[in-house]
Amino acid sequence: MIDPLFLEGIIKVLFVFVLISAGLIISTRNLSSVLTTYTVQSFLLAAVSFLLYLMDGKGQLLLLAGLTLASKVILIPYFISRIEEKIKIGRDLHFAYLEPTPSLLLSIGLILLSYTFLSKVFEGLPLSKLFFFGAVIGLSLTLMGMLVMFSRKKVVTKALGYLSMENGVLMFGLFVTELPFIIEVLIIIDLIILVMLTTILAVGMDSSIEEYRQKFRKLQVWTGVESQ
Amino acid sequence: MNTSFLLFALLNPLFALLAAPLYMALIRKVKAYAQGRKGPRLFQVYYDLKKLMQKEAVYSPTSSWIMRFTPYLNLSTLLVCSLFVPLVFVPEPAGGLGNIIVFLYLLALERFFTALGGLDAGSAFGGMGSSRSMSLAAVIEPTMVVAFAALAFVLKSLNLHHMFALTAGTVLPISPTLVLVSISLFIILIVETGRLPVDNPATHLELTMINEAMILEQTGKNLVLLELAHALKQFLLMGILINTILPVGLSTEIDAGKIAVSALLFLLKAGLLAIIIGLFESALAKMRLFRLPAFYVMAFFFSALTILIEVFA
Repeated sequence: MIDPLFLEGIIKVLFVFVLISAGLIISTRNLSSVLTTYTVQSFLLAAVSFLLYLMDGKGQLLLLAGLTLASKVILIPYFISRIEEKIKIGRDLHFAYLEPTPSLLLSIGLILLSYTFLSKVFEGLPLSKLFFFGAVIGLSLTLMGMLVMFSRKKVVTKALGYLSMENGVLMFGLFVTELPFIIEVLIIIDLIILVMLTTILAVGMDSSIEEYRQKFRKLQVWTGVESQ
Repeated sequence: MNTSFLLFALLNPLFALLAAPLYMALIRKVKAYAQGRKGPRLFQVYYDLKKLMQKEAVYSPTSSWIMRFTPYLNLSTLLVCSLFVPLVFVPEPAGGLGNIIVFLYLLALERFFTALGGLDAGSAFGGMGSSRSMSLAAVIEPTMVVAFAALAFVLKSLNLHHMFALTAGTVLPISPTLVLVSISLFIILIVETGRLPVDNPATHLELTMINEAMILEQTGKNLVLLELAHALKQFLLMGILINTILPVGLSTEIDAGKIAVSALLFLLKAGLLAIIIGLFESALAKMRLFRLPAFYVMAFFFSALTILIEVFA
């Protein structure tokens, strides 16, 4: 049996790396780097889940680690890297509302906000410090993913922002809520993401939202009629 | 002032002064290999300094005492700084030395006089370099303060000697948050020593130079002093980073054998870090001047996160 204190230490180190990856997703302009960072972030979450399994011994946690590894570390990055090969653009240089610098500063504020908020919510609950901190990081990861979604213009980065947001939900679920429920939700969310990705793949991800809508109209995807 | 400290005051600056230029050369060598060249020999940098030492100093007719004074001030400031960062062993604390705030101000003093020296010769390049350096300093200074504050927060002291006495003897960093601080320290190291992607030390191109522009008018032994000061600054910042993230082997006792091992280990670790810096530089292109704050904000972000985590977790 491994010493739980040692495991807790490792989980804390992983928390630090999760935060680093979130910061990188917000500020990196290179598309393939964003994807790599997302893959690493998902891998870290799988590792956290596995370590929690070693601490608690609950089978669901192991299942969750396996599921995360298969879907978010292997399958989804594979899909997106295929897309990135197809669209032939290496960088996402356009930002709406916020450039990376203010986004990073804002995300410090978001972490602070989620801490203050959660400490009010969990007041009086018997949650250990590690679990509380995991919840704070989960919530801030969700908010930071949201920040990526609305500050980036290219669809592919928006999708990665969404995926990173979902990683935050997973993290929050790992440390706070009941597990069997969250596993089901996760599987459904993963499926939705896959469907979304394949849909976008069909039309073209190399565009901003406005261009994307034009492409949609041009193709008449919904009515099935080819445009002139 | 005790004997341990006297020994330290003798050994540490000497060690730093002798070893510092070697790492400038090592980074150059790694970059050369990354570009498919062989590059100059490692010890060439010492021969160059010796050759420059024998040359006559030439001054512009418009220059004042500042230009003559700056090289001496810079090197002596950095030598004082080398008393603040234990590299060979951690001495028993002596009053005031090792204080992180004084250390930062000494670095600021050096930067200020380098900029003044750049302006003093009256050439267009010097003024341009000084102006760029000072505008970047305005952004990096707060980041540096926050990063060192985070370091002080994690290691529970404002004194570098105390901090390293705490970390010495451990193999891994004593707190996971030190990983975050070390990223900030790495960025500060890159910025402070004028390396890519902030500044290109290997060029005399008007568009890219910052640090080179400021010392362009310096010649002969004045240039040697400035080059040494620059190398020393890099070596000390590397020392802070290494003793934070990988303090293994740093001796806290005065024992000839232990000090030798500690110094040798430090040289090895610094070599490793120099290789990493060389590879990092080879992988990046020079950033546009106005995009640099984004690079600094990364350092700020990680330091601020460290403080947040230390307060909450």
